[in-house]
Amino acid sequence: MSITSLVDYLKARKTEYITGAMEVTLSAITGFFIAGIILQSMGYNALSIFNIMITGGVSDLSHLAGKSAPLVMTGLAFSIPLMAGVFNIGGESQLYMGALAGLVGTYYSGNILIGLVLGFLAGAFWGWLMAALRVYRGINEVITAIMLNWTAYYFIIYLIIKYLPNPEKPYMSIQLPQSEMLSMNTTFLLSVLGALAAYYIIYYTDLGYKMRVSGFNPKTAQYSGFDPSKSILFSMALGGGLAGFGGALLVIGVSSGIDTTMTSLYGLGFTGIGVGLLGRNHPIGIIFSSLFFADLIIGGQWVELETGAPPYVSDTIIGIIVIALSAPYAYKKLVELYRLRRR
Amino acid sequence: MNKKGLSQTGIAAIIIIIILVGIGAYYFSSPGKGSITTTTKTTSQSMSTASTTSKKIKVAVLFDVGGRGDLSFNDMAYMGAMEAAKELGVTVNFLTPKSTTDMEPLLRQLSQSGQYNLLVLVGFLWTDALNRTAGDFPNQKYALIDSTTGVVRKNEVDILFREQESASLVGVLAAGIAHQLGGNTVGAVAGMDIPPLWKFHIGYLFGVKYYDLKTGNKVNVLWQYTGTFGDTQKGYETGMQMLQQGAKVIYGVAGLTHLGMFDAVADWNQKGYGKAFAIGEDASQEWYNPHYIILSGAKRVDTAVYTAIKMVVDGSWKGGIKVLGLKDNGVGIWDLNGVKYFAQLAYDNHKTNLTPTEIVNIVKEMRQKYIPQQAWNIMKQLEEQIKSGQIVFKTPTSEEEYNSIIQELEKGNLNAALEKGTVS
Repeated sequence: MSITSLVDYLKARKTEYITGAMEVTLSAITGFFIAGIILQSMGYNALSIFNIMITGGVSDLSHLAGKSAPLVMTGLAFSIPLMAGVFNIGGESQLYMGALAGLVGTYYSGNILIGLVLGFLAGAFWGWLMAALRVYRGINEVITAIMLNWTAYYFIIYLIIKYLPNPEKPYMSIQLPQSEMLSMNTTFLLSVLGALAAYYIIYYTDLGYKMRVSGFNPKTAQYSGFDPSKSILFSMALGGGLAGFGGALLVIGVSSGIDTTMTSLYGLGFTGIGVGLLGRNHPIGIIFSSLFFADLIIGGQWVELETGAPPYVSDTIIGIIVIALSAPYAYKKLVELYRLRRR
Repeated sequence: MNKKGLSQTGIAAIIIIIILVGIGAYYFSSPGKGSITTTTKTTSQSMSTASTTSKKIKVAVLFDVGGRGDLSFNDMAYMGAMEAAKELGVTVNFLTPKSTTDMEPLLRQLSQSGQYNLLVLVGFLWTDALNRTAGDFPNQKYALIDSTTGVVRKNEVDILFREQESASLVGVLAAGIAHQLGGNTVGAVAGMDIPPLWKFHIGYLFGVKYYDLKTGNKVNVLWQYTGTFGDTQKGYETGMQMLQQGAKVIYGVAGLTHLGMFDAVADWNQKGYGKAFAIGEDASQEWYNPHYIILSGAKRVDTAVYTAIKMVVDGSWKGGIKVLGLKDNGVGIWDLNGVKYFAQLAYDNHKTNLTPTEIVNIVKEMRQKYIPQQAWNIMKQLEEQIKSGQIVFKTPTSEEEYNSIIQELEKGNLNAALEKGTVS
């Protein structure tokens, strides 16, 4: 694409971008405003808490990079299936499976690449399984995902305790040596590459096109001669694979192992839903929204230290801001999806 | 055209909202306590006054993942820190990490800032993070509670506990209760087969055999490693098996796992199979089911936190491992005040419907009814010997040593568990 054509392209979509930007600004302001009122009424200084939350995260860039890398992937894991018209709530367990496969693969082969590939495959299988139950057995994917999330959760705890325990640390699984780990910055770069790859697949390949068409309208897809349920399977496998890749990245780049309480993994998949919505379902948007999220999550941990507010205060604030930011988009998407399913 | 009209109203709306927010922000920041400028002013003021009078010591307590409300380590750490704040006049701030992956970066950044005289790290999950950080910041003091990095550094204190001492007292009372209930077996549901748990085993077995020695009543000990600290179901099953084998008292040293054992004991009583009691560990756990949990061994994380802060305040800081025992009030058995404190916490966290007073009354009644005076006396006697330093327990360094100590204890050779002194 030449620069002039890019400029033309941007010009043609000017109003769309302007309304998009306005929507984001407006909802950001609303979110901070509501959160501010709540904080103030609880007796905290809202401005200083916002200040801590936003600056706290960017004060250590490699922490930010390590924190946002898996979020990019779980954000995509939610967004890609949404393009094909399915809700992937299973990013959580797809990430778990990827983390486990990444750990085992890297630990026993000594090769990071094998770990990452296995992580992707494990996540993809788990995502595909959820889609297959929907496509072939007609089970609602949300219910399957919620249940399989817990299945994976306990399965992994069981495996860690029973087969992969760390003899020196009873609370840890086997751990990767420092030499077999990536730096947090590389981890983030890989996640960005993952997002770019996803972008390419979605917008520049046949499979991606079919996926988007069947998400837009399954009937159209059928008339055009391709099977929308294949798109569902593909999108869930791709989304799950990316979540799994994120899990592998987390283990290989950040946590070096999985602890028996699962705190290093828990919640990243669910946060991914917010990341995906906030990123407007666009791979590039998701990179930025995951950075924003990671910033707030890290910064939120400083709030207690600096102001004495209990940790749930910052969690509440993150929740409010995220809801405000993603509500308009989520609402539009939900209405679209609901209409489609009723036909 | 339509779209354009929409965006124009949108712009209007944005402008209005921005104005509103601006007014709101101004309104919020104008009252004294609200604004950033005033807070910085006050902090700089208080800092300058502090530096002129006496340098106020600042401590940050970094909790385990999950933070307060666990009714165990984190709440005890908070308790100790608040006591230090009150009595030693230090400023204490707290931080709860979101996950284990956040620990190292947060610790590193805090160390870099140099804002705090001491960083107290609660729980073993911090071990790795500390081990990778402490060496890079020789001027930052750290205290790690209930774990050790295995490296001696001048700026790091690892606080451990003499679990043998409290476990031995628990053992004496457990044997006494079993005897009172007409049984001759006590049990213990343990977590993983790791060195910290060996210390409990040695102490508990020693206590039971000590009771045996003093009264001539033979009591057997069932000790079972479940291999996990997080599986309540496993705890329930192990507890049930022990009860079926005739255990009258079961001691829980398995974290979450032994909560299942508590349930097993309660079921056993409620189904009318017989009378049996459970014993908790670390924090006072009587509130969980005061009718059937009669005692709790204490691991005083609060004392550990307080001790660490005190070392900084009075200048007695010395890097390395510090072990707290009965003498230092680092371990022991929770008295009714302790029971009440945790009952209150549990009540405030909606974990129990019973009021703290009710819980204390039930526990008091149970203890009076089922722990014979003789057992208390023997326990006091043992406690005195330990506190005065007449006897000191061994801490096994290898599995062979641990196994041989247990074998000797089973045979009745109590002195095999002692590093110093003898009992007879």
